[in-house]
Amino acid sequence: MNFLTLIGIEFKKIRRSKILLILAVAAVILWVPSILNAKMNFGMQAVGISPENNFFIQGFLGMAWFMFPASMVVGTVLLSQTEKANKGILKMLALPISTAKLCMAKFVVLLTLAAIQILMMTGMYYISAAISSRTQDYSFILPTLFVLKEIGLIFLSAIPMIAFFWMLSVCIQTPIFSIGIGLASIVPSVLIINTKVWFAYPMSYPFFVITSEYGKLATNLDTAQVELIPWIPVAIVITIIALGISCLRFGQAERR
Amino acid sequence: MSVSLECKKVKRTGFLSAFLGGGILAAAFPVVNMVVRSEQYLNLPDTPIQILFGANWQIMAMLNVLLVVAGTCLLYHTEYADNAMQKMKALPIRESSIFLGKTVLTIFMSLFVLVIEAGAVAFCSYHWFEIGNGFLGELCKYFGYSFLLMLPCIILSLLISEACKNMWISLGIGVVCVFTATMLPTNDFVLSLFPFAMPFQVFAGPDVTQAMHYIYAIIAELVVLCLAQLSFVKIRRAFE
Repeated sequence: MNFLTLIGIEFKKIRRSKILLILAVAAVILWVPSILNAKMNFGMQAVGISPENNFFIQGFLGMAWFMFPASMVVGTVLLSQTEKANKGILKMLALPISTAKLCMAKFVVLLTLAAIQILMMTGMYYISAAISSRTQDYSFILPTLFVLKEIGLIFLSAIPMIAFFWMLSVCIQTPIFSIGIGLASIVPSVLIINTKVWFAYPMSYPFFVITSEYGKLATNLDTAQVELIPWIPVAIVITIIALGISCLRFGQAERR
Repeated sequence: MSVSLECKKVKRTGFLSAFLGGGILAAAFPVVNMVVRSEQYLNLPDTPIQILFGANWQIMAMLNVLLVVAGTCLLYHTEYADNAMQKMKALPIRESSIFLGKTVLTIFMSLFVLVIEAGAVAFCSYHWFEIGNGFLGELCKYFGYSFLLMLPCIILSLLISEACKNMWISLGIGVVCVFTATMLPTNDFVLSLFPFAMPFQVFAGPDVTQAMHYIYAIIAELVVLCLAQLSFVKIRRAFE
C-alpha cells in the first residue's frame, strides 16, 4: 500500500467522528464576540492599529492562544482512541505495513485537521468581517493575499507543536496524562512568549508569530519580533525528534 | 458503596496522580511568579492574598478547569471504552448513583487540588509578605469561595462526559466551553454565570453582597444540573 492510500484510509476512519462539527462550533464561537464588539476596534488609536487590522488580529490571537492548540489535543485523542476502542490497532499492526508509515499517515491527517480548522476560522473571519462592515458602515475586510500569508504563517509555525502533541499521544498510553500534559502545556505559553527562550517551547510558536504580527501592524506597540536564526533550526530539530520518537514508539505498547 | 467502587476503578487510570500533578503545577505558578518578578507585587496596597489572587488566579483557575474537564472525561471513558457501562447498567443500582459516586470523587479531588494551591499561596504570603491578623480566615474564605464556584463546572462537565460515548467529543465540547469561558468578560454578572466561567471569579473582599449573589446562582445551577442529569438518564433509557 502506498502512502496516499494509507492517508485515505485514515480519513475514512474518522469520517463519522463529528470532529469537524466541534471545530466548526469553535470557529463560530471565536468570532461572535468580535461581531458584537466591532465598535471597540475604532478606539485603538493609542496602539496605532487600523480598525480592520485590529479586528483580524484580535480574533486570531484568541484562536492561536488556546483554541487551536487545544483542538489539536482533541485531534490526537480522536486518532488514538478510534483505533483503541475496538482493538482496531491490532488489526492494523497485523497488516504488512511499516508502522512508521502508519504513524506518519495519522500525523498527516492531524495536520489536515489543523489546516481545516484554520480555513474554517478564515471563512468565519470573512463572514463576521462582512457582517461587521454592514453594522458599522466601515469596511473590515482585508485583502485576501495578506490574510492567506498570515494563516499560512500560523499553520507552518504550528507544525512543531502538533508533532509534539502527536508524540505525547503515541508515547503515553494513559489517556489522561497525554491529554493533561498537552492541555497544561498550552497555558504557560502566554508567559513564555515574553521570555528569551520562547523558541525552545513549540506550544508557544503560533501565539508568538501572531503576537509579533500584531506588533508589526500596530505602530505604537513593540512586541518581540521573530528571529529566524535560533528559531528555524530549533523548530526543525524539535519536529524531527518528536516525529522520530513517535514513529519508533508507534504500536510498541500493543506488540509487547 | 458506589464512591469506594469509583475509587477502585480509577486506581490504575492515573486519575489521582493527574490531579496531584495538576495541583502541584497550578500551585507552582504563584511561587514562580513571585520568584521571577516579586518587585512588581511587593509595594501594592492590598493584602497579600488579594495581590496573589489578582496576579495568578486567572491562570490557576484555567488549569483547575482544564484538570476537571480532562478528569471527568476520563472517568466516563473508562466506563464506555470496553462497554463496562453495559455491565453497570445490568447491576441493580441506579445510573444516577454512578454519577453521584463520580461527582463525589471529583469534588473531593478538586478540594485536594485547592488545598495544595492554598498551601502555595500561604507560603508566598509568608515568604514575601507579612502575615497579618486573620490571615488564615481570609485564606479559607477565598479558597472556600473558589471551591463553591467550581461545583457547577464539575457537575456540568461530568454530565457532558456521561452524554458522549466517545472521549474526543466530550473533551472537544469541554475545551470549546473552556474557550468560551475565557472569552466572556468576568465583570458581567449574567455572562459569568456560565458554569465554566464561574471558577475564574475571585472573592471580592469585605463586601459580601456580590459573593452572596454568586452563591445563590451556584445553588440554582446545581439544582438545574441535577434535575437535568436525572431526566437525561430517564430519557436515554427510553430511547436505547
